[in-house]
Amino acid sequence: MRRRSHILRHLVMALVCALMLIPFYWVAKTAVTNENIYAYPPRILPLKPHLYNFVDVWYLIPFARYFANSVIVSLIAVAGNIVFNAAAGYALTKNFAGKRIVVLLFLSCMLIPFQATIIPAYLVSARLGVLNSYLGLALPLLSTIVCIFVFKAAFEAIPASLQQAARIDGLGELRILFRIMLPLAKPAIATNIILSFIWSWNAFLWPLIITRDVTMQTLPLGLARFLAYVEDTTGALYAFVCMVLLPGIIVFLMAQKEFIRGLTSGATKG
Amino acid sequence: MNTAPSQRAGAAGSADAVAPPVRAADWYRRKRTREAMLVACFLLPSLMIFFLYRILPLGWNVILSFEYWSPLKAARFAGLDNYAEMFLEDDVFWQALTNTLIFILASPIAILLALAVALAVNSDLKGAAIYRTIIFLSYPLMSVAVGIVWRWLYDERGGFINFVLRGTGLIKEPIPFLQSFGWALPSVILADIWQVVGFYMIILLTGLQSIPQHLYEAARIDGAPASARFLRITLPMLRPSLFICAVIGILNSFTAFDLVYVMTGGGPAHATELLVTHIYNMGFGETRFDYAAALTVVQFTLLVILTFLANRAVGGNAGSVESA
Repeated sequence: MRRRSHILRHLVMALVCALMLIPFYWVAKTAVTNENIYAYPPRILPLKPHLYNFVDVWYLIPFARYFANSVIVSLIAVAGNIVFNAAAGYALTKNFAGKRIVVLLFLSCMLIPFQATIIPAYLVSARLGVLNSYLGLALPLLSTIVCIFVFKAAFEAIPASLQQAARIDGLGELRILFRIMLPLAKPAIATNIILSFIWSWNAFLWPLIITRDVTMQTLPLGLARFLAYVEDTTGALYAFVCMVLLPGIIVFLMAQKEFIRGLTSGATKG
Repeated sequence: MNTAPSQRAGAAGSADAVAPPVRAADWYRRKRTREAMLVACFLLPSLMIFFLYRILPLGWNVILSFEYWSPLKAARFAGLDNYAEMFLEDDVFWQALTNTLIFILASPIAILLALAVALAVNSDLKGAAIYRTIIFLSYPLMSVAVGIVWRWLYDERGGFINFVLRGTGLIKEPIPFLQSFGWALPSVILADIWQVVGFYMIILLTGLQSIPQHLYEAARIDGAPASARFLRITLPMLRPSLFICAVIGILNSFTAFDLVYVMTGGGPAHATELLVTHIYNMGFGETRFDYAAALTVVQFTLLVILTFLANRAVGGNAGSVESA
């Protein structure tokens, strides 16, 4: 009876997983299809799989440029997140007047979705003169509340005696943070890297608003542009989709544990 | 940046520490101001970013919503004109508001699905980790790409969904899902559920794993059937996680912008227009920042009210979980 229920559950889960994976397969199949992609009925297996569509992408759009822009913005965002979140998280491990207010402020900021700030955020960026620049693209992403709390929890788990020893040895707070606390909080750093990378890599609305030149656009914008230009008439679009999705999938599979830990600690611990 | 001052302060502090105890209070006070300075410096970058891109925009939206303002004209007080126009004249607003509410009300379906999956994966099932990874895989992916994937699945001729429906004889003629007034919104919602269901599952799994096992053992000894154990233990203990899922579902009506933008652009005839796409179109399509700000204020108010209601629905104690 127990066995039977297990088999049933495996069957249901296999079905659910199939539903989750079919979209990926359908797009990958279309990307390597040679013939007319609108032929009906569509083939389940591509007749003569080939990679021409992937080459086409390189000729049809400045893929390298989009990719480089995405990488640069993500690097700025990741670097900013590690330094700023670690500093803020470390500060929150101390007792100071107004700490409750700061924590409350952070928690309520979590409830403000970025999409609800686009109009003033655009105006702020215009005043700062960072429209259409890498800094402007990365600026709102430079610090993440969830990650601050991930760092805070990690620092609190480190024995206080280590800090005291360092202080007696005459280390300044900045050095204590970077030489002692951060090396002991490697899992928190990993969580920070993965979360901030994925968020900045996928960001669409903000780049859409503040970039004006093609030379500043990131991959999601390139994708939307490509869709607008060629509609969905060519397999190259789906090759492009695969080229964009693949890095995300690889990064996620490599750092799944850190990613999930970050999301759930943010969700359950605030 | 501030290495040198803080180090110097550190040296002074330790010199004071060996000084006679008469100055202990003095030393203590200086230590505290030094620490306050340090805390302020460390918090400053993050606080600046949140101030500039979260708190300031919130207030600025409210101010803009009561003004006539465009980038080239000086601001003029408008009273409630923007809101009057929205509620009385803007049909697209009402359509977008309805769609947004439908979008939010569809999230319980996704949460229930996720709960079923989480319960199945949480047990001693072999390969549970693999199932979990596959189901979660769609969440961290770029929504714009996911939108294009689903556009293609819904396609009339090359799409998988029409292919299956026609192949199994369920329909004779292909359905142009994203081009039809009735089907477009449910289609976009389905794509959205596909993307976020894994996230709900992860949240619920974390909740399930935090339920102490001895509760179940006690119930079993008392002879409680599985249904009672689920209703009396699992569901009540999951309330905080369910609240978080509800909040994610509410926020999702904002974050679905990418999907809608790519899949339908809000069409056909505003059938998939959400408040967030309407805000974007008004602000950056027609450069009516004042009106877009008023729309944002309305949507944010809606979000706060719904979050409050969701909190009440799970017993009103979710705030304590957040600060735990």
